[in-house]
Amino acid sequence: MTTSVRWQDAVLGAAGTGGLFLLWELASRSGLVSTNVFPAPTTAIIGTLQTVPLADILGHVWTSLGRIFWGFALGAVLGTVIGIASGWYRALGVLTRPLIELLRPIPPLAWIPLAIIWFGLGEPSKVFVIFLGAFFPIVTSAYRGMIGIDPALLRVGQTMGLRGPMLLIRVAVPAAMPDLATGIRIGWGLSFGVLVAAELIAADRGMGFMIMNARQLGDVDVIVFGIILIGAINLITDYAIGAVIRRRIGRWHAI
Amino acid sequence: MVTSRIISGLCLIILLLLWQFAVMSGFLKPFQFPPPSRIGEAIVELAVSGFPNGERIWTHVGITLWRIIQGYVLAIGLAVPIGLLIGTIAVLDKLTLPIITFLRSVATLSLLPLVIIWFGTGELTKVLLIAYGCFWAMLSNVIAGVKYVDPVMIRAARTLDTRPLAMFVRVVIPAALPRMFAGARMALGVGFMVIVGAEMIGTIQGLGALIMEARTFYRSDITIVGMLFIGLLGFTITSGLSWLETILLPWSKGLSEVRR
Repeated sequence: MTTSVRWQDAVLGAAGTGGLFLLWELASRSGLVSTNVFPAPTTAIIGTLQTVPLADILGHVWTSLGRIFWGFALGAVLGTVIGIASGWYRALGVLTRPLIELLRPIPPLAWIPLAIIWFGLGEPSKVFVIFLGAFFPIVTSAYRGMIGIDPALLRVGQTMGLRGPMLLIRVAVPAAMPDLATGIRIGWGLSFGVLVAAELIAADRGMGFMIMNARQLGDVDVIVFGIILIGAINLITDYAIGAVIRRRIGRWHAI
Repeated sequence: MVTSRIISGLCLIILLLLWQFAVMSGFLKPFQFPPPSRIGEAIVELAVSGFPNGERIWTHVGITLWRIIQGYVLAIGLAVPIGLLIGTIAVLDKLTLPIITFLRSVATLSLLPLVIIWFGTGELTKVLLIAYGCFWAMLSNVIAGVKYVDPVMIRAARTLDTRPLAMFVRVVIPAALPRMFAGARMALGVGFMVIVGAEMIGTIQGLGALIMEARTFYRSDITIVGMLFIGLLGFTITSGLSWLETILLPWSKGLSEVRR
């Protein structure tokens, strides 16, 4: 793709987005849509910044990011290790697969009551639910990546004298990477979706709490601001993860 | 294959037995880890007398299913024509790409407070939330399906002097259908994810509500029954959709790429 085409795309995209915001702004300012129900983006952002101290907003963001980081990191590490191990060691696969397949269709949010019973109302229960959101897609894709490896690759590795763990680390894991990467991105998106719901219930901090609390206060500005904020953070982090993946894995696999 | 399935099944049974004995011997607390026998009793209780307020399990399943179907059909019905339009017209695709990318990133459940303010806590709120989540998952797949039709097929059809309308109906749409089905399956997953969150508020009917209500009554066994049922429901429908796909789209064999 040449640079001029890329520029043209970016301009068209910006024009489309700008047009939509302009329409929204106009609809709101002209009184077509009441600002108490659906404020214009500028109204929402300015209104929020006037009523809620910036430090509080950053505090909510920080809390949420902390939860999602721990939940996702735990899910990614355990999911990768268990997925790869059960794909490599067949006996382990026979043990873990049925359990994972049985629990996978249960939506992460449905675990919230059990999470509260097991871990109480504090941080661990939220981290646990976010962990589940990340764990299942990652463990499944790691496993699929492992069993989908081209046998020729493994045979070449063996011919070159690689055995056991070395064959796993040098050949099998890199070959399973593209699948794993897809799982990691799906897992990240899911953890983010779960985060808000986990915070809607029994939290006193975090972005999900911020918007739920704003509902009780009837502050639509904060709600709209919060929705945009959560979406933007999700979008930026997803893009960053995608860029890292492309840079690392793009070398031997086109995504 | 068959033997490994039998071993898998045996492992599950052993696990359940271990769980049962761990609770009976007092190693695990029955409230925190209700044993399989208690869960079995809870299923019977839900089927016969119902919980809470005599709502039987079938009512919960039926209501959850109906909410998902409404939201899902609404989303698919809107996403297919809009996606076909955007995917066909390149300028439209470029204009809307950032908007779609952003709106897809918006966490569906973060819309809950806003939608409650607009429409209250009734049925409409739940259906709309499900529709929102499903819509973007479907839309981006429809657009991608149309956009990334193999150019060789288009060129081949052009060589055969195919008219624009016939090209669209006979070449583009069939080629895009596998991807659209993948989108439909993804959307369904999103729907099941959203429904639990949506049912946490303003209702005592539906599996999501059952799971939450059971906690307030300290009935962890019923929570687990609810989880099992929603998992089973999701699994059944997803499998049904895959089966439908193999029947309706025998030409979609390169789908393993999309399915990832």
